[in-house]
Amino acid sequence: MPLSERQRADFERVVRANDVVLFMKGNRRFPQCGFSATVVGILDKLTSTYETVNILEDPAVRDGMKEFSSWPTFPQLYVKGEFLGGCDIVKDMYASGELQKKLGVAETPVSAPRVTLSAAAVKAFMEAGSDVGSDVLRLEIDAAFNADLHFAPKADGDFEVQCAGVSLHVAHASAGRADGISIDFVQAPSGMAFKIDNPNQPPRVKPIHPKELKPMLDAKSIELFDVRPEDERAIASIAQSKPLDPKGMSYLLGLDKKTAVALHCHHGVRSRLAAEQLLREGFTNVYNLEGGIEAWSREVDPAVSRY
Amino acid sequence: MSDHPTDFTGDVCAAIRGAITTRIPDARVEVTGGGGHYSIEVRSSEFSGKTMLASQRLVYAAITHLMAGDRPPVHAVDRLTTKSD
Repeated sequence: MPLSERQRADFERVVRANDVVLFMKGNRRFPQCGFSATVVGILDKLTSTYETVNILEDPAVRDGMKEFSSWPTFPQLYVKGEFLGGCDIVKDMYASGELQKKLGVAETPVSAPRVTLSAAAVKAFMEAGSDVGSDVLRLEIDAAFNADLHFAPKADGDFEVQCAGVSLHVAHASAGRADGISIDFVQAPSGMAFKIDNPNQPPRVKPIHPKELKPMLDAKSIELFDVRPEDERAIASIAQSKPLDPKGMSYLLGLDKKTAVALHCHHGVRSRLAAEQLLREGFTNVYNLEGGIEAWSREVDPAVSRY
Repeated sequence: MSDHPTDFTGDVCAAIRGAITTRIPDARVEVTGGGGHYSIEVRSSEFSGKTMLASQRLVYAAITHLMAGDRPPVHAVDRLTTKSD
C-alpha cells in the first residue's frame, strides 16, 4: 500500500522533531527484539536523550516506515532527520566513531589515551593473555563510566596502547574517558581483582558499612542524615542522625559541597536514590549506609530496634 | 531459535538468491539460515562507490516482497554483507 502524502508528512515531522529517533520493536526499557536491543544499548552509551517509537503498537507506522525509509526491517535509526540504517550499520558506525560524530558526542582524542599499569597488573595481564589466541586485551568505558576490561577480538578504531610490554586496546568511543587512568591488580573481598582509577569519572555515591561509619561519626568527620519519614524514625533511629525534614534539608543544602555526607534509611535503598540526588545538587563526598539502620543495629548498636 | 510461520512454500534461500540476481545481474550471492532468519552476502560491482546504506538498500529493494506482510518467508536478515569486489 503506497504511503499517503499525509503519512509521509507525519513521519517527516517525527524524524525532524527530535535529534535522535529510533523506530524499534518495543521501547527503550523493554526492547522486544535483539536487534532493537543492540541499538538501544549503543545509544545508551552515547546519549541519554533520544526518542523511540514502538512500531509494534501501530501497523500503519510499521508498514509506513518500511516504505518511508526504503528499508524493510527494524530498528531504523534517524539522526537529525537523516536515516542512518539498521542494526548492522549502526554497529559499524559506532565502532568506527562515525555515529558519535553524527550525534555530536564525538570524543575523538588527537592521540591515544594515556594509561598506567601497576607492576601487579602487568604481571596479571601477561599470565591471563598467554592463551587467548588472536584476542586482545580491550578496555571499554561507557558514558556512565563503567569500565569493562576483557579479552576480545580487536575492533575498528581501537587505540592500541603499549605499557610495560602489555598491549591494551582501548575502544574508540572510550578513549576520551580512558585518558589518564591507572590499572592495578589488588586483593578484593572476592579474591584478586583489577582496580581501575579513573580521574575523568564524576563523583559517585560511596558505599559505607556501619563499622566504618561509626568512628567517622564519633570523630564528627561526617554528617549523617536519615531519609525515612517521621513514623519510621519513631520506631528506631540512630542517635547522631538528623531527619531530612524541611529543617534538616535546609541545613544539609547549606553545607559546603565537599562535606562528607552519609545518608541512611531502613535497608539502604531509598537512601541510595537520595544520595544520587545529592550528587546532582553538586555534593562530591556522598556516602550511603549499606544495609541501612537494620545493619547498624546488627553490627554496631543492638539497642536500636529492628523492625 | 524462534519460530516464524509463513505461507511460503519452497526453498527460501533459493528465492532470496533469485530475487537478488534478477535485480543485480552480476551479483554473487550466498545465503544461509532458516526459520525466518537469514544471513546474506552479496558481491557485485554495483556496490563500488556506494555507501553501506545505499548498497544494503539495493539488496533490500530486491527482496522486499519476501519480507512483506504478516507471514513473510524472511522474518529478519541477521547479517547482510555487501562487497564491491
